[in-house]
Amino acid sequence: MTGTTVTADDAARRRYHAVIVGGGWAGSILAKRLGAQGWQVLVLEAGNGGTETWPGYLDSLSTFYSAVAKVPNSAYRPNTAAPSPDVLDLAPVRNPQTGQPEFTAQGYFVQNGKLPYGTDYLRALGGTAMHWLGAVPRMHPDDFATQTTYGYGRDWPLTAQDLQRWYAEAERELGVAGHTAEQKELGVVTDPHHQYPMHHIPQSYIDQYCHRKLKDAVVKDETVPDEKYKLKVTGLPQARNSTPNPEYDHGTYRVKGAVGLPNYGERCVGNASCVPICPVQAKSHPLRLQTGLRDNVTFAHRCVVTRVRAAADTGLATGVEYRTYTDPASPVSRSHIAEADIVILAAHAIENARLMLFSGLATKSGQVGRNLMDHPTILNWALSPEADGPLGPFRGPGHTSGWETFRFGKGRRTRAPFRIEIGNWGWGWATGAPMSNVATALGIGGDAHGAVRKDGVFGPELRRLLGSAIGRQLQLQIAVEQSADPANRVTIDPARYRDAMGNPRPVLTYNLDKHTRDGLFAARLVARKIFKGLDAEDHTNHAPRDGVPPLGHFVHQLNHKTLDLAYSGAGHGAGTHVMGTDDRTSVVDPFQRLHDHHNVYAIGCGSMPSIGTSNPTLTMMALALRSAAHIHQALIAARRPIEVRTTANPDASTMAEATA
Amino acid sequence: MTAPAAADGTQDETQAEAQAELKDFVAYCVPLTGFAAFDLYATGMARLYLDTARRQVGAARFAEFWEKWRTAAAAGGGPELLGPTHREVARALTYLWFTGAWPRLAPDAHAELRRDMANVEFIVSPSAYPEGLVWRTFHGHPGGAKPPGFGTWAVKPPAMVPAAELRDDLGLPADAVYRTGLPDGVSPDAIPAHLLPGHRLSRDIPPSAVPTALAPTTPEEDPV
Repeated sequence: MTGTTVTADDAARRRYHAVIVGGGWAGSILAKRLGAQGWQVLVLEAGNGGTETWPGYLDSLSTFYSAVAKVPNSAYRPNTAAPSPDVLDLAPVRNPQTGQPEFTAQGYFVQNGKLPYGTDYLRALGGTAMHWLGAVPRMHPDDFATQTTYGYGRDWPLTAQDLQRWYAEAERELGVAGHTAEQKELGVVTDPHHQYPMHHIPQSYIDQYCHRKLKDAVVKDETVPDEKYKLKVTGLPQARNSTPNPEYDHGTYRVKGAVGLPNYGERCVGNASCVPICPVQAKSHPLRLQTGLRDNVTFAHRCVVTRVRAAADTGLATGVEYRTYTDPASPVSRSHIAEADIVILAAHAIENARLMLFSGLATKSGQVGRNLMDHPTILNWALSPEADGPLGPFRGPGHTSGWETFRFGKGRRTRAPFRIEIGNWGWGWATGAPMSNVATALGIGGDAHGAVRKDGVFGPELRRLLGSAIGRQLQLQIAVEQSADPANRVTIDPARYRDAMGNPRPVLTYNLDKHTRDGLFAARLVARKIFKGLDAEDHTNHAPRDGVPPLGHFVHQLNHKTLDLAYSGAGHGAGTHVMGTDDRTSVVDPFQRLHDHHNVYAIGCGSMPSIGTSNPTLTMMALALRSAAHIHQALIAARRPIEVRTTANPDASTMAEATA
Repeated sequence: MTAPAAADGTQDETQAEAQAELKDFVAYCVPLTGFAAFDLYATGMARLYLDTARRQVGAARFAEFWEKWRTAAAAGGGPELLGPTHREVARALTYLWFTGAWPRLAPDAHAELRRDMANVEFIVSPSAYPEGLVWRTFHGHPGGAKPPGFGTWAVKPPAMVPAAELRDDLGLPADAVYRTGLPDGVSPDAIPAHLLPGHRLSRDIPPSAVPTALAPTTPEEDPV
């Protein structure tokens, strides 16, 4: 199966060309590329393996079935040795005092910001991509230069043009189904010969319904008075198995099946549970990349990297320290060292920052851990008219289309841009439907005083009521761009906050600036108009209830209008080691190499100076592929591939020259 | 499949009793759920649900509840004939059939039943979740199980079956009232907000503790 999987002790016995911290998307693609080029690679995964086997995968499915709160991490077992942040860690504060945070955070993250960072990730083999949705839109050319073009955020040292080739490669590696013409029309795909590997995933009945009812209606965004936005339902490119596109690469592309069970898992069959787990593995995940690797790629699970070892004088790393554990519930662990020519951090934006901070790396710019971002997402929910018949929610992938027009144009100068996702899973995210529908229709749980409620419905009437109350659910999830703000940051405080193994926990300070809040405000008003255009009954309500504010709640005033708003995290952690050409203002160079440490790379969404309104995985993968090519060149310059393998330590000065 | 030969008559008797008990349980869950006995058996969960309800409510109190409900239903009555605590038990049992989870009860009912376990929602078994009946009320399938196939999400879902027709199919009395505290039947195109879920304020709130919705907001904006 996956290269060679060894124990932590065995992993420490050898020297490697590259040690990769993290077995998620970024770590797996780097392992695959560097392995294919003959380099000796070690991947250290902090969390549990097991999902790469069929019984292990079924165990995750069963864990998901058993979870009351079917949140993104609910399919994966908790792990005290390598804890993951969870959206369940946050709770609202009843009757919060003015100016004080309206939430408390328990669990892995320490949070001391004004607003909650509502995003999780997963420390297990395959990483957070085990529960991603699989949405892979490209970033727009404007997204790379928001400072120059629109006067906010940070510019990239790269352009969209620089990334087109890598985007295409990432789409092959991820296995993307998409509609090329639509993406060209949006301006995100510029290569005239571009094709996606697979035909686009069919758009849901809900998408079609919205399109039929609204056609190409023009909506005004009242925060941007002179712009007109034409609604057009646009398909979402997805890393999900569909039908191979005969136009792509001479028709040679084949869908990739499930890992751990031969001849299983082809096209998406509509399980409608992409997040947190696709039972048939039609949704792409990193374990696919880990299969079929050669023996020169070594994986070790349950190896928590604690520190990067770097020489004080040259800044060059010699390897990493890691601790291994046998029982995820016990804090007992043993320490090891893995030596390598190149150290690659690919452990998630927040984990990368945490490691760099604890290792004392890249201190020059003062930017490590800063510019933490996400896509604050505002939920809007409504019921379509009974006369239009049921819409068929809770079917198909989480969302198959969106309205893209608010992502672009000069409105970005006024408020943050946003992408409107047309949800396929009813009010699930906003209200806990359809289970909560059963509870409220029955009248279970009691009233505000704990007394048994009088009103409720049973039997045939309940069945009929639920048919309508669930069958007509519409939800728009609107993801707003958040730009880099150095005040939003990850720090550590090892004297106060450590996890059970003794590693420092991330301390997060998070807030939304006015530009982002204006974007959320505008998004809410646009959703209202869309619902009105659909003749739908808008049930959205972000106001506190009986003194309890929803998570992510804030009150925002704009143009003499005041709204209660609330956002959720999108799981798009980014921006903690931003790239740039100047080592005084950025952490990594355009190849994601640390300015201060020439054989250390920090790979992932942490390198992004801005994330636009695109789900960031595809861009992260494009960057990782670009870095893989660069690292290969650096290694070639420093030493030869393993055909004639030397055991001598690399000469630090040679390394420095070769990679400079 | 042949049943193992009984060692003596008592074992036969116990088995027959268990079967009769289950048959009775399923029969009187039909008017609570609105699903036919065939559908309820087909979940494969009947025994687990009966055991769960008994354990959660307490054997004696469950028997008391069951007797009341049986009598009411046999006489063509509905849950409005039950007292508040029994009404809550009837709801919990229905919730169990619809979702595979035992819900959080109204605190008053929890106290009155003197339950010796925490009043929290839990899924009774990983195999119960995919058997939830709620998905079938809107011609859906449980998220993560029983997938309908590639592209099915693009197809218009079938129309809803009227309640009267469901009632007819199940052989339930036409005049029985299967609602409580609501003088009139609920029209599907005018579902009152208090029968709908409101915003789940944080993700750790289990579905059975989500507050009911408030009246929908009325947009004052211009139409698109």
